[in-house]
Amino acid sequence: MLTIGQRQFWDIVLTKLRLNLRSEVSKTYLGYLWWLLEPALFVAALYVVFGIFLKTRTDNLTVFLAVGMVTFSWFARSVSNGSRSLDTAGSLTNQVAVPKLLFPLVVVSQDFVKQTLVFVALFLFLFFMGFKMTHVWLSLPFLIITQWLLILAVAMVFAAIVPFLPDFRYLVSTGLTILMWGSGIFYSYEDVIIAKHQDLFLLNPMARLIKNYRQVLMDGNWPDWGALGLIALFAMVVIVSMLWVYKKLDTTYARLALQ
Amino acid sequence: MSINAKTMLQLEHVGFSYSSGIGLFGGTRIPALKDVSFAVREGETLGLIGRNGCGKSTLLRIMTGIFKADTGRVVRNCNRISLLSLGVAFDRLLSGSDNLILSCMLLGASRKEALAMHDDIVAYAELEDFIDQPVKTYSSGMKARLGFAVGMQMQADLILIDEVLGVGDARFRKKATETMRERVKSDQSVLFVSHSMPTVRSLCTRVIWLEQGRIHMEGEVDEVVNAYETFMQDARGVGSGLRAKGRSPSK
Repeated sequence: MLTIGQRQFWDIVLTKLRLNLRSEVSKTYLGYLWWLLEPALFVAALYVVFGIFLKTRTDNLTVFLAVGMVTFSWFARSVSNGSRSLDTAGSLTNQVAVPKLLFPLVVVSQDFVKQTLVFVALFLFLFFMGFKMTHVWLSLPFLIITQWLLILAVAMVFAAIVPFLPDFRYLVSTGLTILMWGSGIFYSYEDVIIAKHQDLFLLNPMARLIKNYRQVLMDGNWPDWGALGLIALFAMVVIVSMLWVYKKLDTTYARLALQ
Repeated sequence: MSINAKTMLQLEHVGFSYSSGIGLFGGTRIPALKDVSFAVREGETLGLIGRNGCGKSTLLRIMTGIFKADTGRVVRNCNRISLLSLGVAFDRLLSGSDNLILSCMLLGASRKEALAMHDDIVAYAELEDFIDQPVKTYSSGMKARLGFAVGMQMQADLILIDEVLGVGDARFRKKATETMRERVKSDQSVLFVSHSMPTVRSLCTRVIWLEQGRIHMEGEVDEVVNAYETFMQDARGVGSGLRAKGRSPSK
């Protein structure tokens, strides 16, 4: 049929994902390396500033920074890539009738596959620093899936806006930088933020997720299931609403690509 | 062409306009199509002619469902419509081979079917030596050949062809026209857009002439094409300030 069926759609998503990843591997190893390198460089820089110059007294500062940075840079990079996905697909959207969900979904999934390698590197780093794998690590898949849903939700919203307002992508990158400062990557919010503002701080889902990653990976405690559930639920509500929006605006995006 | 032939696709009072500005509340509307009604019948090769910017490509996009008409409606009685156009939708970073598979799938083939057709398509496009290279290294002729080969191999109930026979070198053009001719003979329903009047004359069974977003004339091939050619000659004579529909060029 003209509108591609459900099964065909998922078949296309998987094929495109596989082909994109394969072409990336054959083309450049640097693409993958960069995913490892960026958080590593950030951790190094932050360590110099906070650990050495400012003599921050946090136990295991490098691990603390690494966990925060690895998870946050996944979010930032994938949201940023995803937000451009529908706009850059313009040349395709006005040639083929295809559900527009394809574009953010493929980009966000592609980033997810690459991120799994970064997680493996992070775990190796943790072992190297003397951390042990405990049974609470079983909760990691839930943490990661929750974050993936959050990324997809945010990316779908931004991707839907950018074709209408191309300059919005600058706002996205500024917003992500601001969010980085507000997510407690290089400070422990309990020490820095006064008690009555801590709840406000934790309204930021990335701050909440990073806190939970550290809880599991560094302290050996179970994550805060209620908070995770809430974030996942919020993300799914956004995703479902955006599916409706995408359906509604499907042909509008094809038209925008030509205007 | 019998009147009783099944209708593959029918447009009823279709209107469409672009917005001149970008943004949510952008600019004025520029009408591209106004009250266009016609039908493509099973097995016919319908020609669509008209000057640049008369709305041909927009019309094809509405027929395939890429655009939704602002007014009027489109009735489709067929399952698979494929659009063959020059602005082929390829991912520049992927290889020709990967793009071929994806294109087939976007036109409705399963991955298995696409893989099965792969070699034939490559051979037809004569791209054996380049098929593993990223499409960004392709010349426009190579891209067009690949696009045409995919579109021709895919079985579709209705094929919409936008100006693609002019692609590639003379030899490929001949081959493409030959393939088209075979398709036309074999009861394939085709809507054919072209600026090449000899090709329209030789391939089409009926012609629609679109002018400034409206159907200006519709009917037998020779009748419409002759009128169009006279019109275009007059247009050349007096420059571009020519009007359609009932008004004669201001000589």
